Amino acid sequence: MEAPNEKTAADKLKEIMQKAIFEGPQKTTAEKSTETAKSVRRMIKGLAQKSHEASERGDPIAYLFVASFYDDILRAMDITTVGTENYAGLCAAKLDAERFLAKAEAEGYARHLCTYATCGLGFDAMRHELQGMPPNAPDGGMESPTVMLGTGMMICDPRYKWYQAAQRYTNVPMHVLGLLNPTLHYTHIDIEEMKDYYIKYVIEELQGLVDFLEHQLGRKMDWDRLSEVVNLSERTIKLWYDTYQLRKAIPAPMPTEDALNTMVPGFFNMGTQETYDFYRELYDEIKYRVDNKIGVIPDEKYRLLWGLSLPPWYGLVLFNYFETLGAVFPIEVVYHPYTPLEIPDSITNPLERMAWRFYNSLTNWYDKARKNTGNPWVEWFLDLINEYKIDGVVFHQAMTCRTIHCGQLHQMNVLREHSDIPMLLLEGDIIDVRNYNEVATHNKIDAFIEVVDTYKKNKQS
Amino acid sequence: MTEPHVHTDSFLETIACPFTRSCLDIALKGSYDFLDGYVVPHACDNIVNLYNIWTYNIKHAYAHFVNVPHTQSKASLEFFEAELRTFKTSLERFSGHEITTEKLIQSIQLHNEQRALVQQLYHLRKHDPPLLSGSEITDVMRAIMSIPVTEANELLKILIEEVPARHDGPQKKPARLMLSGTGNEDTSFIKIVEESGANIVIDDLCFGSRPYWYEVDIKDNPLASIARSYLDKINCPRTYRESPGNHQADLENRFGYLYKFAKDFNINGVILYITRYCDTHAFDAPDIKEYLQGKGLPVFEIEGDYPLGSTAGLKTRIQAFLEMVS
Repeated sequence: MEAPNEKTAADKLKEIMQKAIFEGPQKTTAEKSTETAKSVRRMIKGLAQKSHEASERGDPIAYLFVASFYDDILRAMDITTVGTENYAGLCAAKLDAERFLAKAEAEGYARHLCTYATCGLGFDAMRHELQGMPPNAPDGGMESPTVMLGTGMMICDPRYKWYQAAQRYTNVPMHVLGLLNPTLHYTHIDIEEMKDYYIKYVIEELQGLVDFLEHQLGRKMDWDRLSEVVNLSERTIKLWYDTYQLRKAIPAPMPTEDALNTMVPGFFNMGTQETYDFYRELYDEIKYRVDNKIGVIPDEKYRLLWGLSLPPWYGLVLFNYFETLGAVFPIEVVYHPYTPLEIPDSITNPLERMAWRFYNSLTNWYDKARKNTGNPWVEWFLDLINEYKIDGVVFHQAMTCRTIHCGQLHQMNVLREHSDIPMLLLEGDIIDVRNYNEVATHNKIDAFIEVVDTYKKNKQS
Repeated sequence: MTEPHVHTDSFLETIACPFTRSCLDIALKGSYDFLDGYVVPHACDNIVNLYNIWTYNIKHAYAHFVNVPHTQSKASLEFFEAELRTFKTSLERFSGHEITTEKLIQSIQLHNEQRALVQQLYHLRKHDPPLLSGSEITDVMRAIMSIPVTEANELLKILIEEVPARHDGPQKKPARLMLSGTGNEDTSFIKIVEESGANIVIDDLCFGSRPYWYEVDIKDNPLASIARSYLDKINCPRTYRESPGNHQADLENRFGYLYKFAKDFNINGVILYITRYCDTHAFDAPDIKEYLQGKGLPVFEIEGDYPLGSTAGLKTRIQAFLEMVS
C-alpha cells in the first residue's frame, strides 16, 4: 500500500473549494481518507441491488432499523433486508429527500417528526400511489417489504410508530419486538436483581420474532446456522472494536466522516462474511496508516470528539470544513461498535447470546458512572477524551430527533462538572436540509476553533 | 400547570415535549421539594430522558423507574409483571412496610371504584346540554389525580349526586364535540372551544377518560392483573397493538373505541389536539383522521404548545370548524 501524497491544509482547502465551485451545491458528502471507507458506497449499492433481485424472484424482504440487535436471525433465515434509515440518509446525501419529506407532510405527518421516518413514509406513500418506484429514486428505490420489523426499545419511539404508520401504504404484516434495558438510577434496587428477567424477556422476544417469521414466510429456522451467524457476529464486533482502538494514534489515521461510512456494514449487514472481511481490510489499512504516521490531514492541530449526535447526512462535507482549520475527529460516540462482551462459555443458545449482547450494550457503563459522573454517556466521553487525546467536543442537535438529541444539554452540563474541555453545539437535522444554516454553522465552528486553540495552549503551558 | 418555563432551557432542549419541559421547570423552581420520592414509567422517549435529567438534578430520597413494554406479547406481560414486582419491592424497602397481596387487592378495588365513579360522572355529559362542561371535568380529573384515592372517591360521589340538580350548567350549543389527544390538563384550550359555540361532551385524553375507561380484573395474582390491564385495556399510542392483518382492520382495532364514544355521546365532530413534539400521537394523527372521517365525523387537528400561548389565530380556526359541523 502506498502512502498518499502529502497535502497541506491550504491545499486541501483549495481542493474542497474547487470541488464546491465545480460541483456546485450538489456536493454533500465528505472527502474520505481511507480507501476502505470509500468502498462502502459500492457495498450500499450492492445491498440495494440484492433487494431488487430478491423482489424480482419474489423472495421475502424485511424493512428494519439500524442496530436492531436481531439481524443475525434474518441472516440465518436468508431474508433480504432494507435498512430504511440508511435509505433516508442516502436520499439526504443525494439532496433528494425533500420530495419525500414534502409528500409525508402532505399526507398529514408533522414536520417535526423524525425525518428518517417522514422520508420513508413519503417514499412509501409515493410508491403506493404510483404502484411503482418513484422516478429516479436513489439506488433504484426501496423495494416493497414482505414484513416490517420494528422494536419497542428504551428510547426511539419511531421504531414502532413509523412502521405502524407505514402499514397504510405497505399493508403488510408487522412485528414489534420488545427490547428493554434497566436505566441507571434506582435508589432502592440494584440492577443485578433485575438482570435475569430482563435477559429472559429479550430471549423470549427474539424467539417471538423467529416464530413470526416462520409463520409469515413459511421458512424454518436452522438453529445451527444461527449459532454460526451469532459466532461470526461476535467475532466481527471484536474485530470492528479492535480496529477502532487503532484510531487512538496521533496523527489520526481515520476520521469520523469515514466512520459514518464504515459503520454501514456493522449496523446494516452484520452476521455476514462480507462484513467480517470488510473490517479485516479496514484494520489492515488503518494499521498501515498508523505504522506510517499517515494522518487525515498532514498538520493536525486539534483533535475533536463527535459527541452523541446523529450527523447531518445532507452535509457531511462539514467535517472537511473542520479539517481546513486544522481540526480532525479521531473518534465519535455515535455508531461506535459495541464493547465486546465476555459471554460465559456455558451459554450456547444463540438467542441467549444475542440477549446478553443487547443487555450489555447499555449497562456496561453503569457501574463506573455510579461511582463517578452519574451519567453513562459522560463516563464514556471522559474515557474517549483521555484515550484519544481530545481537545474539544462537538455535538449536533438534530431538530427532529428527540430520541438522541434530548439530553445533550444534560450531557454537556455533567461533562462541564468534570472537565473544562471546550464544547460546541451545532444545530441542524439528520435529513431535512431546511433545518440547516451552513453559514451560521461555519461561523460557530470558526469561533469554537479559536476557543479550542486557547484551551490547548493553556493546557500545554 | 401553565406557568411559563424559566429554568428548563438550560437542562432540556426546546425540541422536547413542552409538557415534559413544564414538569421539569416546576421541579427546578423547587415546587416539588416537599416530595420524598419520584416514580416514572417508561411512557415515551420524552419521559425516559426526563427521568435521567430529573434524578441527576433533583435529589429525592426515593427514585424508581418502571419499565413498561411497548407490546402486548405474552413475554411483555410477564416482563411487566416482574417489573411491577421489583417496584413493589423497592417501595417496601423505602417505606419499611410490606405490601401484602391483600393490601394490593384492596387498593385495586379502590381504584376500580374510582374508575367506575369517573365513568358515572362522564355519563352525565350524555345529556344535551351536558351537565358538566369539558373544562369542568378537566378540573375534576386534575384534582382527583392529585389527592388520595379514598378522598377523591368520596368527593366524586358527592359530585355525582349534586350535578344533576344544578341550574348553572352548560347551555345547549350547536356542536357536541369529542376532544382527543395528548397529556394536557390546561383548560385554556377547552374554554376557547366551549366559548366559541360547542360543548365538549367526551374526551380521549391522558388526563381524561383514557386511564379510567377500564377495570382491573382481580384474580389470585394482582400484579399480573395490573400488568394485563395497563397493556391491554388502555388505548394509548405508546403501546403497539398488533395489526389483525390489513389496514382497515388495524384502524378498527386501534380506534374503534373512539367511534363507540362518538355514538354513545352523540357527537358531531372531533378535535384532535396534539401537543407539539408528542411523537407517538403525531404518528397516529393521519390514521385517526382517516378512520373517523371514514365514519362520517369531521376532524379538526391542532398542534399546540404547553402552556397554550397565543390564541387569536386558534379562535378563528376553531370558529371555522364549528361553522362546518354545526
